[in-house]
Amino acid sequence: MTLFSLARKNIKGNFNNYFVYFVTLVLSMVIYYTFTSLQYSEKIQESIELSDTMSFMFGVSSIILILFVAIFILYSNSFFTRKRKKEVGLYAILGLRKKTIAKMLFYENLIMGIIAIVIGIILGTLLSKLFAMILIKLMGSIAEVDFGISILAITQTVIVFMVIILFTSVQGYRLIYRFTLIELFYDEKKGEQIPKVSLISAVIGVILLVVSYWLILKPFPDEFTTEYLIKNYGIAFVALVIGTHLFFRSVTVYLLRLSQKNKSRYYRGTRIIETSRLLFRIRGNARTFTVIALLSAATICFLGATYSGYYSNEKRAKEVVPFSYSHLSKGPEFDSQVESIIKADHRHPIKAKLDIPVIQVKGILSFQLDYDINPVKLISESTFNKAANALNKDETVSLSGNQAAVIQPRFTEYTKSVFKGENITIQLPQGSSELPFVHMVESNVLPFDYPDFFLVVSNEMFAKIAKKEAPLTYKVYEVENEVTAQATSKKVNKLVGNDFQVSSSFYTEYKQGKEGNALTLFIFGFLGLVFLTASGSIIYFKQLTEADEAKGHYEILRKIGVNKKDIRKSIKRQSLFVFGLPLTVGILHSCVTLYFTSNFMSNLIGINLIFPILMAIVFFVIIYAVYYVLTVNTYNRIVNK
Amino acid sequence: MNIVVEAKQIKKVYGAKGNVFSALEDIDLTVMEGEFVGIMGPSGAGKSTLLNILATIDEPTTGNIVVDGINLTKMNEEQLSAFRRDKLGFLFQDYNLLDTLTVKENIILPLALAKLNIKELERRADEVADKFGIRDILNKYPYQISGGQKQRTAASRAIISKPSLILADEPTGALDSKSATDLLESLKDLNEQDKATILMVTHDAYAASYCNRVLFIKDGKIFTELVKGKRSRKEFFNKVLDVLSALGGGANDVI
Repeated sequence: MTLFSLARKNIKGNFNNYFVYFVTLVLSMVIYYTFTSLQYSEKIQESIELSDTMSFMFGVSSIILILFVAIFILYSNSFFTRKRKKEVGLYAILGLRKKTIAKMLFYENLIMGIIAIVIGIILGTLLSKLFAMILIKLMGSIAEVDFGISILAITQTVIVFMVIILFTSVQGYRLIYRFTLIELFYDEKKGEQIPKVSLISAVIGVILLVVSYWLILKPFPDEFTTEYLIKNYGIAFVALVIGTHLFFRSVTVYLLRLSQKNKSRYYRGTRIIETSRLLFRIRGNARTFTVIALLSAATICFLGATYSGYYSNEKRAKEVVPFSYSHLSKGPEFDSQVESIIKADHRHPIKAKLDIPVIQVKGILSFQLDYDINPVKLISESTFNKAANALNKDETVSLSGNQAAVIQPRFTEYTKSVFKGENITIQLPQGSSELPFVHMVESNVLPFDYPDFFLVVSNEMFAKIAKKEAPLTYKVYEVENEVTAQATSKKVNKLVGNDFQVSSSFYTEYKQGKEGNALTLFIFGFLGLVFLTASGSIIYFKQLTEADEAKGHYEILRKIGVNKKDIRKSIKRQSLFVFGLPLTVGILHSCVTLYFTSNFMSNLIGINLIFPILMAIVFFVIIYAVYYVLTVNTYNRIVNK
Repeated sequence: MNIVVEAKQIKKVYGAKGNVFSALEDIDLTVMEGEFVGIMGPSGAGKSTLLNILATIDEPTTGNIVVDGINLTKMNEEQLSAFRRDKLGFLFQDYNLLDTLTVKENIILPLALAKLNIKELERRADEVADKFGIRDILNKYPYQISGGQKQRTAASRAIISKPSLILADEPTGALDSKSATDLLESLKDLNEQDKATILMVTHDAYAASYCNRVLFIKDGKIFTELVKGKRSRKEFFNKVLDVLSALGGGANDVI
């Protein structure tokens, strides 16, 4: 029997242990392959507007993926080797030289890695087309996905994973040299000891969590500076990390200890067994739980936020570019040229066509506002109402005399109260006049252009100012079914040029936003998937090692007279705790953080993000539930045959 | 006196056709209430198989067992578990304590599983702890106490549910001679004062000399039986040794 065949036999024999690891490995390869092949696929890039961004994002995310996968492989490997210490010790006792054993471990890892790479690439080639189609669909493009095998992507995947696998194989090789024979044999004897209750660190943990939640949830200050951002959320982040660790390390110990105090509950049925087991294992699990809880929180946050972005894109686009097309009038010839392009598009007939005259003046506010307001843009009351009407908005204004209504500058969160009772002094050639603010409306009628400070003034006032200060006229068009007006938008954009900081046609803004959001959603979705499976498998491994160690424990219980059903129930409860705790903490963290982001976002774009966030959480819970069931079944098979 | 164990024609066969090995052949065994019975025999004689069958951890191939009036062969897994919990007490060579539980929790485990009310549970815990002199270590964990203390903890657990039958499998096997004597004395007291019925498998003639009656098994059959009667423990010990040497099976098994 050669070393190689011994290694092969070991893999076969340990297949149950390796299976979940293997699946995770293959999955991460498939996703890495997909990312790189999308990054290099020219066909896809041609069909979308944000092609440069896409390449870049796939590049970056594949690096993140690789870093994560490398850590996962290293962790699982050290886990497997630890688990097999005894076996290695046996080989040593049988007289195998350390070098030979090390070589065998090296081969084992290598064989597994190579098989995973082969399967990963085959599946990757098959599935990446499907994934690409998902991406295209998310982006709302109608491109043909016909990329087959990307040699470049295959080469890159193979090289990157080979490097990782070689590195971890070397780790396995080195392991054997680090231990003495006696250590290899008596490793499991060490045993964990019952953790001491540290009330101080439990209290500190709770305080840190409360502080970080408070910092995250506290309302935005009036002045939102970078320094504040770093200070406030930096502290919150650090407190959250340390607090979470202390929570798992001490608070849970404390709570479990507390539950032991209630004797009539604790001394009833199998609860005594589960509680004590959990208590014993908690120290060993604390770090893993912390990492998993924090990573799940981060993933849910990113997923929730990107999904929200995707979900609310149309609304955001409509906010930024209210009309289907808008441009600055540049003489009758130019204007009719634009109009004829729009008219020629029979699939998107014009619903409304308006002229929006705007006067730009200099103004001074009666109070301090940290927003650059000059030049102030004035729109007349009737124009605004007509435009709002054309956009199907029921927000109208009625003003008289000097009165003015401010249109909330986009991407800010100023409320009515900020302007209430204040006024603005505008400077005109004939002298200045003071306009009191009587109202604030939320939606603008022209595309965003910084500084986004618009005032609606009464018709008489507008006419009066217009005599001295000639208005600029914007032509705006609203067409049917604007979300599909691709060709016309391109032509209009080309002709109009850059009248605004954003695009002059709604479609372009909408599509770019959709593509960008789809891209991040796609990437975070898959990264999240890899992360989830990896963290699920880590808990799974941990539980299975525990099951192996606990075999004797459950045998005793069987002898004492616990039936199989109760043992299964007890395993279920334990696993529920082990999976549920980090997940619950993760969800809680992410809810708090998302509450903050969604506050932030809904202030900006005024949408409800509960649905997308809930979706992200449900997605998480379902995958964890699969691992939970898998764990309970395997655990049960090991200890409860 | 009542019959606690009545086993008839117990047969245990391992392996499939062509390669069968019978561990027990037509064993008959009756244990009366209040008896302290030892089972001896060389390695592979079938002692542990017999004990496991009586403990309902293993099933006989054929034969009938009635413990405390209950027929074991007719019960399903759940009933057997409940039976073990309520009627049997176990004592093993390697103690079989749960290392995640304190001494006290280990002792009360059978009662907790039976969902006994807390007052009664505490009362009984104190009672058995006093009996075995382990009151001081009730809040310690198994890894913090000595082998003898562990075995006394195990013995406390075995008797706390007031079982009809205590089954001991080499209880002194891992103990030093002082701890072994202490444990055997405790078992003897238990047997004499509380009328506990004990069935003990052992290799050790010294341990066997504490019994009222010793059964010798060889190759799956009952070889002979010794009754202590009015003999002193020392005399009985010599008798046991005599039988053992007749039984053969290697000198290392004797002491």
